[in-house]
Amino acid sequence: MNVIALVLLVVAASGFMYRLLRGPSLPDRVVGLDGLQSVVVIAIIALAAQADSGITIETVLVAVLVGFVGTTALSRFIERRGS
Amino acid sequence: MSLASEILIVAGCALAAIGGIGVVRFRDVYSRMHAAAKAPTLGLVLVAIGAAIEIGTLLAATTLTLVVIMQLLSSPVGAHALSRASRRQVDIEMDAVDDLTRDERSSS
Repeated sequence: MNVIALVLLVVAASGFMYRLLRGPSLPDRVVGLDGLQSVVVIAIIALAAQADSGITIETVLVAVLVGFVGTTALSRFIERRGS
Repeated sequence: MSLASEILIVAGCALAAIGGIGVVRFRDVYSRMHAAAKAPTLGLVLVAIGAAIEIGTLLAATTLTLVVIMQLLSSPVGAHALSRASRRQVDIEMDAVDDLTRDERSSS
């Protein structure tokens, strides 16, 4: 049953990676990067549940904060500079 | 793993996959943002509940609750900043009223 979850995560990550690599504009790439960060966070939590240990959970907190700061900084950058 | 956490984790990963498919198939930036901001956030909530049931310690449950609160706060703020930034950059045909142009015209 966990194989199903990992296959679904691979589908999600390849969709976001497609949009990150060939988005027509810069905001499309930022959308792809933001979604890829969410998928990485979900994958770390799912693997921690699979391994039945909570030692990697603190990593997730850092990943969420870094993703938020990255998205906000990139959107300010787009707003000032243009695509 | 218990059945409840299995079901929750698979449902959360399915929501993330729906977000990934939507990002590929939708037609403009705002539709893709809609797919990328909402579906993986709910997926993260479901996966975190499933992992908290499975791991079962108080420390892991507290940290996962903090992660969920952070994601629920930061995902709409990031999507809002990105949509406002991309308003001037991309040329999209609007379906209905353009609220930003209307507000700027009425305020000036």
